[in-house]
This record gives sequence, structure tokens and C-alpha cells, in this order.
Amino acid sequence: MQVDKFYYDNKTVKWFAYAVMVWAIVGMLAGLWIAIAMYYPKINLGFAPTTFGRMRPVHTNAVIFAFVGNGIFMGIYYSLQRLCKTRMFSDKLSKIHFWGWQLIIVAGALSLWTGHTSGKEYAELEWPIDIAIAVVWIIFGINMFGTIIKRRESHIYVAIWFYIATWVTVAMLHIVNSLELPISFLKSYSIYAGVQDALVQWWYGHNAVAFFLTTPYLGLMYYFLPKAANRPIYSYRLSIVHFWALIFIYIWAGPHHLLYTALPDWAQSLGVVFSIMLIAPSWGGMLNGLFTLRGAWDKVREDPVLKFLVVAITCYGMATFEGPMLSLKSVNAISHFTDWTIAHVHIGALGWNGFLTFGILYWLIPKMWNTQLYSKKLAGTHFWIGTIGIVLYAIPLYWAGFTQSLMWKAFTDEGQLKFQFLETVTHILPMYMVRSVGGALYLSGAFIMIYNLRKTILQGSFIADEAAEAAPLPKVITTHGNEYWHRWIERRPMKMLLFSLIAVVIGGLIELIPTFMVKSNIPTISSVKPYTPLELHGRDIYVREGCYLCHSQMIRPFRDEVARYGEYSKAGEFVYDHPFQWGSKRTGPDLARIGGKYPDSWHYNHMMDPQSMSPGSIMPSYIWLYDHQIDTTKTPKMIWAMRKLGVPYPEGYEATCNADVAKQELAIQASLKADKLDVKPNDEIVALIAYLQRVGKDIKSAPKEELQTAEKGGNALMGN
Amino acid sequence: MMTMALILLGTASVWADGPKPESSMSNPFVVLMVIIILFLALIIAILARLVTGAAAIKAEKEKQGKSLQAKATTIISVVLLFLSVGLFAQDKPAEAAAAVTDGTINGLAPVAYYSIVSVAFLELLVVIVLSLMLKSFLAAEKQSTLLVAGSTVEIPKESWWDRLNKFKPIQQEATIDLGHDYDGIRELDNRLPPWWLYGFYVTIIFAFVYIYRYHIAHSAPLPREQYALDVAAADKAKAEFLKKAANNVDETSVKRLTDNASLAAGKQIFETSCFPCHGKLGEGIVGPNLTDDYWLHGGSISDIFKTIKYGYPEKGMKSWKDDFSPVQIAEVASYIKSLHGTNPPNAKAPQGTLYKDDQGTGGSANPVDSVKKDTTVIAQH
Repeated sequence: MQVDKFYYDNKTVKWFAYAVMVWAIVGMLAGLWIAIAMYYPKINLGFAPTTFGRMRPVHTNAVIFAFVGNGIFMGIYYSLQRLCKTRMFSDKLSKIHFWGWQLIIVAGALSLWTGHTSGKEYAELEWPIDIAIAVVWIIFGINMFGTIIKRRESHIYVAIWFYIATWVTVAMLHIVNSLELPISFLKSYSIYAGVQDALVQWWYGHNAVAFFLTTPYLGLMYYFLPKAANRPIYSYRLSIVHFWALIFIYIWAGPHHLLYTALPDWAQSLGVVFSIMLIAPSWGGMLNGLFTLRGAWDKVREDPVLKFLVVAITCYGMATFEGPMLSLKSVNAISHFTDWTIAHVHIGALGWNGFLTFGILYWLIPKMWNTQLYSKKLAGTHFWIGTIGIVLYAIPLYWAGFTQSLMWKAFTDEGQLKFQFLETVTHILPMYMVRSVGGALYLSGAFIMIYNLRKTILQGSFIADEAAEAAPLPKVITTHGNEYWHRWIERRPMKMLLFSLIAVVIGGLIELIPTFMVKSNIPTISSVKPYTPLELHGRDIYVREGCYLCHSQMIRPFRDEVARYGEYSKAGEFVYDHPFQWGSKRTGPDLARIGGKYPDSWHYNHMMDPQSMSPGSIMPSYIWLYDHQIDTTKTPKMIWAMRKLGVPYPEGYEATCNADVAKQELAIQASLKADKLDVKPNDEIVALIAYLQRVGKDIKSAPKEELQTAEKGGNALMGN
Repeated sequence: MMTMALILLGTASVWADGPKPESSMSNPFVVLMVIIILFLALIIAILARLVTGAAAIKAEKEKQGKSLQAKATTIISVVLLFLSVGLFAQDKPAEAAAAVTDGTINGLAPVAYYSIVSVAFLELLVVIVLSLMLKSFLAAEKQSTLLVAGSTVEIPKESWWDRLNKFKPIQQEATIDLGHDYDGIRELDNRLPPWWLYGFYVTIIFAFVYIYRYHIAHSAPLPREQYALDVAAADKAKAEFLKKAANNVDETSVKRLTDNASLAAGKQIFETSCFPCHGKLGEGIVGPNLTDDYWLHGGSISDIFKTIKYGYPEKGMKSWKDDFSPVQIAEVASYIKSLHGTNPPNAKAPQGTLYKDDQGTGGSANPVDSVKKDTTVIAQH
């Protein structure tokens, strides 16, 4: 039979591999920085871009989209060519994809540092970058499907099923969650508000973990593990069952991030049960990985690549078991808003994504440079330092989370809260310190790896175009009688795409549509009014500084939270919140009822020097809010945008809104003056105080009957 | 799978007779311990499997198959015994805790507490023993690896682990090779591990039971219903405690305390919670001066008590009744009274109306300013 000769493109893979290493260091350094900020807030240097609220999104975006993102592309560009027995569809698209993605990352980091954020976790980037992401993602898709279509392999391998599902789902999640109304080049408002925004955001957030951090990496595991171990995949059947079950079930589980919140109860329950059903499909991947190593465990002891892969897969198994456990309400009541969640995600990030990426790099670089790894011993050192780093990172945080949660919930016999919030924070500072040591160890391991790989690269010679040959794909693929039914779709990549899309669309639609369409899910409260224009400015500052990364605005119906913060939050309170700011972590106390709790002067002093009002606080100083002024020329545009999104400001309010701004500013200025504090009316701190003094106040004048309906709300479906 | 079953059983038994407020499954300590116990059990299972494997290999090498194999089997059965004890023990605390509410440790009866802790401890012990055994096996194996490499290996007897997963022996792998070849990657057609498959079914059943109970039968409380139950139970417990504890001071009965111990306690609270606004010496910063003759909301002991208890939120004074007990509030109020006339440096200018304390204790000198305000703060409860 005639055989085609062709070349694999290693150059793109090389570039992505370099990007992985660069962004690994950047992302982890940002992480270490904010880990230290947790007990040494002065590390912000009195400078906005280096403050926790801005560094934290830089850290998460750099690790997720830069480090892991480039890791995905590196692995896919290498494995896809070989699994399809063809060069990538277009070298030009590969190049555009690579540089486009790096440009997005740089633009993202710069815009986050300068405070341009949409205020939605893991989707912080502003609208022009969102569009760029969509474009580059589509270019990647064209390149990937182009390659699959011109393949010389009759069937597509399980790794590619995962790549396809990843591509289509991420595209869907990104586009739906990023729908926003721009008011300027770098400022927009989410088109969703309150409960609906929260649901869309966590449908996205949870599935970003699923389809950006999990499914593509499972695909990579399915290629690199059997290659490195030289063993056959344990069970093809298991691949089929766990692949389809995983992508179908994953998408439903988002609401488990919103247990006990104002999200309707039926949606919370769906989040719980689908999380529990997710255990087996997730573990299917782990089992297929670990069982593939049957008969090769002796190699695991010797080969650093396999060591990394095994720990990665084990961490995946632990995290995907822990996740569903955290979704049970009784566990979630303890874990949510604490460092437990942070520990959990880092088992995934450091263990699963980090170690799998390292394992692949150790395998790939010597292959592409046609040489041996420079030092197995150094790789072993990296392995142990990394592993100890993970342990030192995770255990203190589990401890911190659990301890703090118990302290929050503790009451004295007299029925008083046993601990002030601040006491629960200062109590866990030692754990924060140990955590940063763990993180530093993990980072130093990455440096060792880069040194080792650099040496490897120097001693080898790069094969930019790797020669290969394969028979062309016949026009008609002949099948042999006794075949699995699933082989049918493996010959039809576009049908694979379609069916994956159907599998992931179902869960989303069933949860989102009723929350948007059925009014009784979010009972209105007539006393909840739109923000004043000055409060809107203040809210923009609140979002810009990333306050939501340490402060929740969601009081759950727990005895301790009601005692500590006030009446628990109702769905109807958030209808004008574009975007919602419920938060997911309480490094500081909840702010849902901060309005009116302290005088203006308290906030003034507290934002300038938090320790003066709350001794021992770990909040950084926000000194720049006293030097900068709000831009009142934007006010009419903000009012216009909010009205477009359904906030009932009167027609023509744009013309008079700035008069209201001035009026409210003067009132706050006067109240500060009474305490001998001088501000200029347009100072940012004035707007922020206006917003903080408003949060959670409206409900206090709500009619009683309305509150009763508000309490019953959310049970409209499913029979209540 | 075990976990799921357990959680199902746990919740099911607790709610068998409709909503009841108390359940030790909602005790965070129990939940954590159950999770730890299950995790340890998992680790034991994996270690046990590794130890048997290692033992089998070693046994074969040393041609002493029977004795070592037997040894390994004994270990495994001991482990399984521990496991079953562990699972059994978890039911006990639930009953015990429900019966006893006083003299608890972490909210559990001592018996329950110690039994649950000892299960975890025993498991930890087993983990340590197994890891040591594994280490010794591996060390032994390392030495003899070179020797065995050449010799043909017989098919080892099927272990429980192999049976559990329905493993096809590696030697018979060729029979299930599907003949797929993707860049050199082959695929086998092993069966789905039965425990995995049935575990999956159990979680699906769990899902239906869960939805049925919360949304159709309403036999389990949703978050806001649970909240109402918790608050009712706490209020009852608090009322009972206060009845006994003679701690039941309020603004009508509070007397100024003058003993040193009370004032020292008051001072301590003042210096941790009040000073950011009122100053270390009560001289006033954001909040008013507390050492002069002028008071915004009355200067009698009962006025001060009331101000601390309910606060004046619109003026920036928060309510402290959820933070401090009545006795503690009385202590702080008495301490504040003791600051009168101390003339600290940097004192804030007087605010409010003149109040002269003739009687020394009790009685509101400024009745106009009293009771009315309270309702706004507490109405929501």
C-alpha cells in the first residue's frame, strides 16, 4: 500500500512549552505574594496594583488561563498530530493562536493590575479581552477540527473526545457568562443581576474547572500516560462510559457553589445531587489511569515522569471525591467561605494540573530535542519538594478552614457569639504562614525543573519538523463485523461535537431557564430601590478593588450568621446588582448588612488604616482612594446602561443625576467634617462610603407580608 | 459507595419520623470525623492491597509461598475487622449524642466522642503498621530485583483486590486487546470495575431519594426551615440556662458594679472592643467622650447598659447583645461609669445633654430618650 510521508510540527509545541514555564513562574509568584499578604498586609506597599484584591485575580487568571491554558495547548498540539497521523491543519493558525493567546494573557494581567475587572470570579477580564478570547478560541477550534478532518487515522481516540468536548463547552460557557453591556473601552456591566448573575457565574465558574482544568487534562492523561508507561489503556468501555457521564453530569453541579444562599432551593438541590452523581464518572478517569499502570508499577519507582503522573492522578481522585462531599449541605455549612475551599482547589491546581504538566514537560522536552533528561535526580528532587509543598500548603489550610468555621459558629451558654470575627482571623494566622512556606517550596520545585529542562535543551538538538509516515485514510472505512456501537461516532468528529454540545446544553438550560422565567423564584421587595448615582460610583470602586475576594455579601440562614451580621439575605435584595457581589470567601466579615452599622468616619479611618479601627486586622490600607476623584462625566452613561439592563431609573435622569451625586457627596462631607475629617466631595472614598452605607439597608423598611413571601420564595417549583 | 450508603442511612434514620431538630450528623465534629475515618479506611484498603501484592511477590521469590501468604491474609482480615468496627462505631455516637446533652465534648457525649476518636486512632495505627510492612517488603524486594528479573513468573493467585476489580490477569491480556493502535497506544477491553459501577448506581439512587425527601415528601428541612428549627432550639436552651444561671440582668434590673473583679473584666472588654471608637481612656475618637458630664443617650447605669445592648446604629453605635452576655455588658457599663471625671488627655468636646449622677445607681435621668428606640433594632427577630 502507498504510504504518505509528512512532518509533525514541533515548533508550536515548543513555543507553548516555553510559555507554560514562563507563566508557571509568574502565576505562582503572584500566588506567593498574596499568600504572604494574608498575614503581612503591608506587602501591598501602599500601591493599588500590588494589593490583594487586584493580585488575586492576576494569580488565578495566570495559573488557570496562562499556565494550564498553555499546558493544554502544548499537549494538544503534540498529541493531536500524532493521534491523527497528520501535521496541524495550518501553521499560520497555530502561530496566530499562540501569539494571540499570549497577548490576551499580557493584556489581561495589565488590565487587572490597573483595576479593570468585570467583578466575576475567574471571568474578570473586560469585554474587549473577552472578545479576543472568543476569537482566538475559535481559531484554535478551526485548527483543531481541520486537523481532525484531514486525519489518516480512521477513528478518533478517547483523548480527542475530551479535546472536542472541552472546546465546545468552554466556548459556550465563556460566551454566555461574558455577556455584558459596555459603557466605555474598559468598563462594562454584566447583563444579569443578583441571583441570576450568581447562577450564570457559578454555572460558568464550576464548569471552567470542569472543562478547562479537568477534561482537557484527562485527554492529555489518556495520551501521555500510556506513552510514558508503555502500557495499553485499561478499559475502552470505561473510557466511553465515564466520558459521556462526566460531561453530561458536570454541567449541572454549578449551584453547589451557592448552597444556603438566596438561590432557589430546587436549584441548590440539583447542584447537590448532580455533584454526588459526579463521583463515579470522575473516578472513572482516575481508575482508567491508575489501572493502565498495572504491570508497570516497577517503572513508577524509577521514572520521574510516571511519578508525577501518578501523584497527579491521585490528587485528581482525591479532589473529585472531596468536591462532592463539600457539596453536601452539612459539610458545606462548615467549609463554605473558609480556607477549606482554597485547600481543595489547590489539591487540584498543584497536584492534578501542576504535576501532570510537569510530568508531560519532563517527557516531552527530551523527546523533541532528541536527547535524555539532563538529570533524573534533579527531577526526583523536584518531585519530592513539590509533593512536600502540596502537603504543607493543603494541611494548614484544611485546619484553618475547619477551625475558623467552628469558631464562627460557637455560642456561649448565654446565647452570645463566643468569638469576634477578628479573633477567628488572628487565630489562624500561623496556618497562613505555613501555607506560604508550602507554596514557596512548590515554586522552588518549578525553578529546579526549569533549570533541568534548560540543561536538557542545551545538550540536545531540536527537531522542528519530525518526519513520520502513514497510509492515507481510505474513502470508505471498512468495519469488521463485531464492533462496539461507539466506534460509529468515533469515525464522525462533527457528530461527536454535536452530541457533546447536546450533552452539556441540557443541564444548563434546565437550571437557567426557570430561574430567569419564573417570577416566583425571586420574589420582589418593594422597598428595595436602585442605587443612587454616587452609590453606583462607589460600587464600581468596590468591584475595581476586588473587595468581593475577601468579603461576602450573602448572609446565610444560620443562627450564627444572623446573630453576627443581621437578617439573612433574600433573593429580592439583589435585583439591581449588576454584577452580583456575593463573594466566595470570607477572609474579612460579611458586608451584606454593613450599611448603617458604623458612622461615616469609621469607614474613613478604616479604609485609610484598617488596624486603627480593627486592631489586628489583616486588611490592607486603601490610601489611594483619598487622592483620586470619581469621574462624574461617566455618571449619565452609567445610568443609561443600568436602565438598559432593567433598573428603573426615570427617563431623562441622565440630565439630573450629577446634581444628586453632588448633593449626596456634600452630606457625607459634612458628616465627616463633624468628626474633623476633611475630604473633597469627589474623592473616591466618599463614593465608597456612600455605597457601603447603603448595602443591605433597604430591606429594613420592607412591608412584613412581602418579607414573608420573600422567605417562602425559591420553593415555587417542586411542589412547595 | 460505602460513604454514600452511610450518608443515606445516616440522614434517613435521623429523619425517619419527620423533622427533628437534633442530629449528630449535623455536628461538624462528627461530620469531619466520619470523613477522616472514611479517608483512612480508603488508605488502609489501598495499603493492604499493596502489602498483599508485595507479600505475594516476596513469597514467590523466597519459595515460601504458604507461610507468608497466610500471614498476609491474616493481616488483611484484621484490617477488614477494623473496618467493620469502624463502620459500626459510627452509628453509636448518633444515638448517644441524642440522649445526652450536658457534659458533652465537642457537642458529643463522652462515650460517643471517645469511641469515634478511638476508631480514627485505630485506623491511623493500622495505616502506620501497614506502611512499615510495605516498606520492609519493598526493601527486601529491591535487593532481589536483579535476581528475579530473568526467571519466569507464575500467575499469582487472584487476590481480593483482583476480584474486586474483576481484573483480567496481565498474562491473559492479549485476549482482551481490542487491536486499536493510536500512535502506539493500545486499548484493552477490561470490564467496568463492579464496585465502581454499583457505586455509580447508588449515587443515582441517592439523587432520587434526596430530591424526593426535600422537595416531594418534605421529610427533611430546607435551609430556611432548618434555620427556624435551630433558632427555636437555641432560644429554648438559652432560656433554660439563664433561668438557672442568675445571669438574667437587663436594663431595668442592672446595678452598678463596684468590685475590682467586675471592673477589671469590664476594662478588658473595653480595651479590646470599645477603644477604636471611644479611645483607650474613654476620651472619644469617632465615638463620644465617655469621661465627661455630657451624654447623648443618658448617663445612668441603665442608660449605658441599654446603649451598649441595643446600640444606636443610625449614629454608628452597634448593638453588642450578640457579642456579650448581660453580665459582661453590666461590667463594661460599670467600668465606663468608673471613668467619669478622669479627664484624659486629648479629650473630645462634650456632646449631648448634661447628666448629673446623684443617686449613684439605677434610675434613668433622661427618660425621654429611653425605651422607644429599642424596637427598631430587635423588631426583626
